[in-house]
Amino acid sequence: MRYEFRVTGRVSTPLADTFPELDRASVPRQTLFFGTVTDEAHLYGLLARFQDLGLHVEEMRRLPD
Amino acid sequence: MPTSGFPAGTEGFPAVTEEGKGSHAGHTPGRRPVGTATEAALAWSGDPLLTSKVSVPVLPGTCVPRQRLLDRLSGGVNGPLTLVSGPAGAGKTTLAVSWAHLTTPPGPVAWLTLDTDDNAPGVFWSYVLEAFRRALPSLPATIGTPTSPDSIGRSLLVRLASAVEHLPHPVVLVLDDMAKAPGREVSKGLGFLLEHAGPQLRLVLIGRVDPRLPLHRYRAEGRLTEIRGADLTFTPDEAATLLRQHDPATTDSTVGTLTSRTEGWAAGLRLCALAMRKSGDPDGFARSFAASEHAVADYLLAEVLEVQPAATRKLLLRTSILDQVHPELANALTGRQDAEEILARLVREGAFVEPVADTRWCRFRPLFAKVLQAHLRSRRPGLAPRLHGRAARWLADAGRPAEALGHATAAGDWSYGAAEAVRNLMVGSLLAGPDEDRLPALFSRMPDDTPGVEPALVAGACRLAGRDLEGCRERLTAAERFMNSGSTPLGPEAGLTHALLKLLCESYGPESGATPGAAAEAMARNAGHMTARVAGGRTEEHPELTALRLHGLACALLRSGRLDDARRAFTDAVEACADDATHLVLHASFGKLALTESAVGALTAAEDHAVRSLTVADRHGMPPARRSGAGHLALAALSFERDDPRTARHHLERAMASPDAHDDPVMVAESAVLRSRLELTQGRWEAALTALGDPGQPPMTWPAERLAVARSHAVLAHGDHEAAVAALHGGDGDGPALTVALAHAHLAAGRIDRARRLLAHADRSHRSSLVDHVRIRLLRARIAMLGDDPRAAHAPLAQALDAARPEQLRRPFTEAGPWLRHLLERADGEDTSRLSRSWLSTRCPDGPRTPAFVEPLSGREREVLACVARMLSTNEIADELHLSVNTVKTHLRSVYRKLCVSRRREAVELGKELHLL
Repeated sequence: MRYEFRVTGRVSTPLADTFPELDRASVPRQTLFFGTVTDEAHLYGLLARFQDLGLHVEEMRRLPD
Repeated sequence: MPTSGFPAGTEGFPAVTEEGKGSHAGHTPGRRPVGTATEAALAWSGDPLLTSKVSVPVLPGTCVPRQRLLDRLSGGVNGPLTLVSGPAGAGKTTLAVSWAHLTTPPGPVAWLTLDTDDNAPGVFWSYVLEAFRRALPSLPATIGTPTSPDSIGRSLLVRLASAVEHLPHPVVLVLDDMAKAPGREVSKGLGFLLEHAGPQLRLVLIGRVDPRLPLHRYRAEGRLTEIRGADLTFTPDEAATLLRQHDPATTDSTVGTLTSRTEGWAAGLRLCALAMRKSGDPDGFARSFAASEHAVADYLLAEVLEVQPAATRKLLLRTSILDQVHPELANALTGRQDAEEILARLVREGAFVEPVADTRWCRFRPLFAKVLQAHLRSRRPGLAPRLHGRAARWLADAGRPAEALGHATAAGDWSYGAAEAVRNLMVGSLLAGPDEDRLPALFSRMPDDTPGVEPALVAGACRLAGRDLEGCRERLTAAERFMNSGSTPLGPEAGLTHALLKLLCESYGPESGATPGAAAEAMARNAGHMTARVAGGRTEEHPELTALRLHGLACALLRSGRLDDARRAFTDAVEACADDATHLVLHASFGKLALTESAVGALTAAEDHAVRSLTVADRHGMPPARRSGAGHLALAALSFERDDPRTARHHLERAMASPDAHDDPVMVAESAVLRSRLELTQGRWEAALTALGDPGQPPMTWPAERLAVARSHAVLAHGDHEAAVAALHGGDGDGPALTVALAHAHLAAGRIDRARRLLAHADRSHRSSLVDHVRIRLLRARIAMLGDDPRAAHAPLAQALDAARPEQLRRPFTEAGPWLRHLLERADGEDTSRLSRSWLSTRCPDGPRTPAFVEPLSGREREVLACVARMLSTNEIADELHLSVNTVKTHLRSVYRKLCVSRRREAVELGKELHLL
């Protein structure tokens, strides 16, 4: 399953590096994280990690494989 | 000064218990390896860090009183459940803390701050209980304490709910950071408490995610007050108050800019305040912040971190690997000496860390540790493991070995971690409780080829705890190899750990490499010597070591058939179990003691001890995988000896559900023997033989002897006396039970003289038990009858009856055969008072016997059971007793649990049998 997460604001490298399994791209006022999510445990783990780092997930969607 | 003397209405109690200073004044940290969440929960250590977990935190120095929220919370606490939720740094905890300090709560406040380690139900509930106890010193001690981290008994929650229900005043329970304990079991228990504790319980849940409770239902019923993220955001007025605490000159437009950019996020505003002051140009900062596209937390943290002096930055990054920061520990990690001042300043600024009341420790605010860890990884890759290693050594020196272990294993420094575990004698608590799950979890990633004595010992202990005896033996062999080749001298702790593991491993193990009692005694003595060599009375703080040693010895003695010695050793083991830190070995020792006693015919004592064994397991909510089946097996055996096969079958089934019923040689044999005898009562002699398994030719240890006797009984039931004799000639055993069985077989073959000689021999044995004694007398009576001399049969029969009566030992009489019935009937007319055989046929001559379950039924439960017996449905019972359907179901469930049944019919049958109906 591939997912995309849209996080508010630009995320600095040290924080982005805590998601080594995700690629990232910057768009105006947002940072996109995307990549393969193994299963739901992984998905919820990622969301918890965003939250732990004070990052705000505005939108999340599944990408076509 | 704990809150004593409550209930004085809402006046006169401090909302904040002052950390229980008085009750823990005498504690010197490091006397015992305590300090982890798990361990402390089980035997409260009085550690100030843990005390702070279960006390209302101190009011932060920089705190904006937000009256609208305080009022909402006060309103919520008038009802049963209040939820405070929002993102990290939203000010949830600060709100609850200031509420507890600045307003008048409706009753004492019990507070629990959860950590990530607390998601195991047992740990969670022991903290909740401790929090309650601090707020309510009058709470009855009979509620008990869970000792297994994995589960708690439902009965504990029932006792807690009922204690709270009967309080004369409300009590507020605040659970901070519920997200750290997300387990289903925890939520279920919390829901149960909420439903059953009555209106006195006021629960406040604080967390980032919604708890797993039926919130929609509570909401619909109007029992839930919610204070959510949107409510917690700072209004421009509140933001102005906060920012002006830091810099009185902040302009309105700056406040407006920052409030909208941070969306009123409390942690963000606080960071803004710090960054502004450091930059020296508040308005310029606000403008550049507003124009930035960076994530708020990220931008502010980077900004704040960058403007910190280098020393502060280093300290923040390096201590981010810790849950809690101590100035000296911080010095150890930075290699500097200025942590004290830096931390004091950070606490004053109130952004990154908060103090832990009454200690020199600080705690990171939730958001920052993770962010700082990320920065640490990116700036100094590879440094984190080294820091963990350093922290481990500092913590070990500071007498916090349990935390030291956590860091040593996080550093992957297995040799050091294992050496610490062994040096602090932590292996015993792994086998005796209460630390049974922590060590295996920590060391689960340790590679098998980690060199050294201690890693091998720790790995061996973990395997023994998981009942992998083969694996344990293999690791012990590895440890011995290292011992023999080692150049460094071995500490006495390692010697003791090794001796103990060896003894236990051999005593529990299967037949191969059988340890006769004498060898086990030598091993136990060796372990005793080792104990004496451990310096400074430290072993006195570890009663579990003695208990385990005695238990291991007793198991070996039991296996070699030295029942009297085994009985004494089990009794000693039970006595050595002085505190709650030994519940596993206490449970097992009581069970095995009961088994030993039932085998020799001390049925009353056996029943007593079996029930105690089950009670220990129940009170500590022991998970099934940790339970010993010995208690149930003893109950099964003694019920059978009392001629109650139905109860015997029931307990045998329960015993077979435990892991040790399948690998402990004594228990394997005993359960097979019992199953075989139960089959015989139904006349199925083939099934009885099958139950005993393949005879083989094992050495005649006690279990093998028991199997041989049972086998000879089974074939004798079929009339095959030659096979019965052959079954008993498997080895060189000469126990009285074996001799009696042989006499029985020869008698059946008509060899009366031979039988008589064997009986005389058995009777002279000093090892003969009550069961043997009764059987010998009965066989003598039988011989007299065969000699057509009924008068001569009366004397031995009377002796048998007299001996068997105190223990209600009926089975030998039932098994003796029809001739006995005739004899008894004839004897009736002659000497009734002398023979007094009425107890043989009447059940429960001394009134209803204490039934063999753990708790008696309550009045309500009996009423519900009576209704069930009348075939009423759940709904009808609810109508009849004016209860809700759910309450009836709850009562029914607890009836099932107490009677150990799963169906209505079984409950009714057993209820009748036990005279409950």
